[in-house]
Amino acid sequence: MTTKKARVPKAELIAVDGVDAAAVLADARAALGAPARGGISRWDASGVFQELAVADETAGAPSARTLLLLYAADLAFRLRWQIRPALAEGRTVVAAPYVETAMAFGRAAGLDPKWLTNLFRFAPRARTRRFVHTSPARRKKARDGFVGFSCDRLAAVRTKQERLRMVDQTAALLRRRDR
Amino acid sequence: MRPTSAALRAARAHFTASGNRRGLLVAFEGPDGSGKTTQRKLFKTWLQSEGYDVVTTKWNSSDLIKPIIKSRKSVRALSPEEFSLLHGADFRHRVEQVILPALWAGKLVIADRFLFTGLARDVARGLDLDWVLKLYEPLLWPDLVFYFAVSPATSGRRVTATRTPNFYEAGQDVTQVDDPVESYQRFIARVIREYESLALIFNMITVDAEQSIGEQHHLIRRLFLEGRQRPWSDWNADAVAEWLQQARNGAGR
Repeated sequence: MTTKKARVPKAELIAVDGVDAAAVLADARAALGAPARGGISRWDASGVFQELAVADETAGAPSARTLLLLYAADLAFRLRWQIRPALAEGRTVVAAPYVETAMAFGRAAGLDPKWLTNLFRFAPRARTRRFVHTSPARRKKARDGFVGFSCDRLAAVRTKQERLRMVDQTAALLRRRDR
Repeated sequence: MRPTSAALRAARAHFTASGNRRGLLVAFEGPDGSGKTTQRKLFKTWLQSEGYDVVTTKWNSSDLIKPIIKSRKSVRALSPEEFSLLHGADFRHRVEQVILPALWAGKLVIADRFLFTGLARDVARGLDLDWVLKLYEPLLWPDLVFYFAVSPATSGRRVTATRTPNFYEAGQDVTQVDDPVESYQRFIARVIREYESLALIFNMITVDAEQSIGEQHHLIRRLFLEGRQRPWSDWNADAVAEWLQQARNGAGR
């Protein structure tokens, strides 16, 4: 009598990073392939930034450091409720975005890379990393996602030109990480 | 934000200039039920009578982040990491919006709990001290930290005399104990153990919070009068310079 071994599905964490949220999501869908294979974990699953968006202006504009602490809190939520459970079930999860987008934004804002590395120490390494690069014209329009949201709120970003510079710097740092 | 040398120079010059009364930061730390708030109020009243312009800031009180934390606490939805990171964000926002502007203006800031609260509670929840401490960088060290020391039994007795500790206060997220009072006793013992280590490491002034309110208050006055002459700590240069750069960049907004 022969017995066939049950095929254990391969759990995989795929990270897709980039400044253009719509392009990142499209790439995440492509990376996942068949929806039955797993799921996509998206930014602000915890709703932290949604709440921040409706906060009273008198509460003061958050700094890049505060925004990154919130990003990390949201990522901890995503890991707990979306990413780790799916991996434990042997499914694939595409984290879109994951750590690189936030790290690049932090570096573009001038934060110490060591501080950023420590901040995301709790996040497991993705088996596959994908980067989505878009044209400057598309980046100019991109307002959704963590980078667009943050650039619209930083007190240090006062003009359209400064906003675009910040988005472009983040994109350039992501391109460098992709090499 | 890595501060520029110009911002560092400006920070040092402002806080070490002779003549003006410089801003002072005094932190009150200790477990729940240690009497910090009572002492903070008495201290504030006395300082005002001495001519100080006093600003008070409490733990988890920023207008921006507090509602986010509150809504998650109410549904018991926070893991230790999320709890830690959200409180770190609240602290950072208050440092930038309340504490540093007041210190820059030469005011005296009383912090009813400071970053040591985050460290003690997060480590008691099983997080790594090094990871948590670095979340709070660039560090802002108070001129004086009073640590109100009580035993776990006293803390438990005082807290439960008037109310039932809430879910996170009782540490029920990590003790897995259903009874909040029993959970509090276990959790606060861990928190106090961490506080005591931090008090030694960070050279806090320990106040025996089992003494009478009057005795503690007079001790705090005396220690403040001795300690206020301390020179400004250059460890704070990075935190001040980062804030200064942000404030200047955002001045036109």
